Amino acid sequence: MDFPARGSRDGSETSTERVLLQFEIEQFLYREARLLDERCFEEWLGLLTDDIHYWMPIRRTVTLDNIDLEFTKPGGMAYFDDTKTDLTVRVEKLVTGFSWAEDPPSRTRHFVSNVEITGRDGDEISVALAFHLYRSRLESVTDHFVGRREDKLRRVDGALRLCRRHIFCDHTVVRATNLSVLF
Amino acid sequence: MSETAARRPPYGKAEIASWVDNERGLIDRNIYVDPEIYEMELERVFARAWNFMCHESHLPTVGDYLVSYIGEDQVIVVRDEDRLVQVLLNTCAHRGNQLCRAEMGNTKTFLCPYHGWTYGLDGKLVGLPGDEPYYRGKLDVSQWGLQKAAKVESYNGLYFATFDANAPSLHDYLGEVGRLGIDQMSAYGELVAVDGIQKNVINCNWKIAVDNLLDWYHVNVSHRSAMRVGYVNNSMMQPRQQMVMLGEYGHTIGGPMLSQAQQAELDALSDSERAELDALSIEERAKLAPRITERRPIRPSRMKDLMGPVGVRAMGHPNIFPNLWIASRAFQLSLRIPRGPLQTEIWWFTFLPKDYTEAQRRVAMKFMTHSFGPAGMLEQDDGENWTFSTKSGLGRVARRRPHNLQMALGEDEMLEDPSGQKRIETVVNEHGQRWTYRCWSEWLQARTWDELRQSRSPVPTGRI
Repeated sequence: MDFPARGSRDGSETSTERVLLQFEIEQFLYREARLLDERCFEEWLGLLTDDIHYWMPIRRTVTLDNIDLEFTKPGGMAYFDDTKTDLTVRVEKLVTGFSWAEDPPSRTRHFVSNVEITGRDGDEISVALAFHLYRSRLESVTDHFVGRREDKLRRVDGALRLCRRHIFCDHTVVRATNLSVLF
Repeated sequence: MSETAARRPPYGKAEIASWVDNERGLIDRNIYVDPEIYEMELERVFARAWNFMCHESHLPTVGDYLVSYIGEDQVIVVRDEDRLVQVLLNTCAHRGNQLCRAEMGNTKTFLCPYHGWTYGLDGKLVGLPGDEPYYRGKLDVSQWGLQKAAKVESYNGLYFATFDANAPSLHDYLGEVGRLGIDQMSAYGELVAVDGIQKNVINCNWKIAVDNLLDWYHVNVSHRSAMRVGYVNNSMMQPRQQMVMLGEYGHTIGGPMLSQAQQAELDALSDSERAELDALSIEERAKLAPRITERRPIRPSRMKDLMGPVGVRAMGHPNIFPNLWIASRAFQLSLRIPRGPLQTEIWWFTFLPKDYTEAQRRVAMKFMTHSFGPAGMLEQDDGENWTFSTKSGLGRVARRRPHNLQMALGEDEMLEDPSGQKRIETVVNEHGQRWTYRCWSEWLQARTWDELRQSRSPVPTGRI
């Protein structure tokens, strides 16, 4: 099997090391997905670096010759354009006892797959993946958010932390009452 | 545009009038769920009204287009070769196929993907495959262009369109209150659209989404979590300091107002001092100007010239009838587009003043990305209230009970300042919502624009 070792520091990484890294990354992603599903938001925040950029641009239906317009760019409008502080406030809001959009709570299931290491730069690892966030809510609300994520993980004191989450949804009109869940 | 026999409304004038009880402040729940009432709205409200299309800066270049809606009619809004903004029905004149499948972009022509009929940016049919061999040169292409809006006009760079040739001019349609609502945003100088229109779907009737923007009663409860985490400054809500302005045809501005003291503090600041405060975080600003922490961005001094000494203290939300909210707390517009009686698409357009400094832009964008839209700290808690206020009307028994809009009914006075500007100064109230429904009822009762012009309510005076 041929694993890309792009950007590895000395190029001498063995196949075993690369497999272990893939495993470690996947375990990290599964764990934080579970924390969100179990509503352990404070613990989830603990997995984010202080400089995280959490961003979901707007996607548009465009023709192929206008495909560069498909996503809004950084600085344009977005659904999420959050710092760690913003995400912390979102979590604080969720636990106020008055956060009606999530009380009664949504039942979410965060799936991640197609996890691919796309780049290495020092302590940072770029990861692309496909996600499916399922939300069941109240009696009959069912939402599906599907798309691609471009995450970046950083090794901090030996442990992986999330330092970038860019979320590219596949829908152009959000088919949901709100985006009160975290991706 | 005349109503066809096939679409003759199933309800007569008296019946329509009975749905909105102005005297008692009661609203028949049926107006949110009845498919036949909805069909009437498409005909008598949306196909007749001036509908917001876009801002001039959305279409800077010849061939730039975006797809929008007038009711359920999809339209292409495009800048043509003469740099005019055209509003074209997005349906091929041949077999009615949807012509433009993208929601935005730039193009030289619109080619129908079915048979290839091709239209210019002004809607003229410019390409007919098989013109000679199949049509034998007999199809008069001059007669088969795209249907255009009857009128397209702009106010302060905001383009509106109507499919009714008998509609008044946009200026007259907006009237003083509609124009003031738009001025609240335009006073900051030339606006430029920020790329990206947020769009999401809520399973509610469009009118519930519209009247909510005038409802300052819900804020303390619906948005309590956002307030608890300090996202919304409580003083912004000012339930005891409200101003409502009512405009002909249903335009309204309603919500908080500044006290004289707050306005005096603002008046003392030069525009450059205001810009400096604008570039600060909420906390930093609170230290320097404690009374004006809730205002973001700070209104420029010319706002007072535009709105007058009384109007300038109005901090409420303008609604341009039927469905355009000027979210004038910053630079955003929200459209509530009907998708059947039980569904509404919410679109958010975002702008920045061209002259803003980088720091001002950053602070304003932060506010705008985090307040509204489906992920907004405020708006995420609205949708389910609207959904279930609508859906309960599907219950046969529940439908017999009216909605109650009785707050402050008959308790206030319409004040008139020397300039003739009228407003109500009061506490939290439902004047704006009552006015919206009263006018909506008049729109539905009138069969033509001429009839509406005659029968519309003038702005009330005296006790209200």
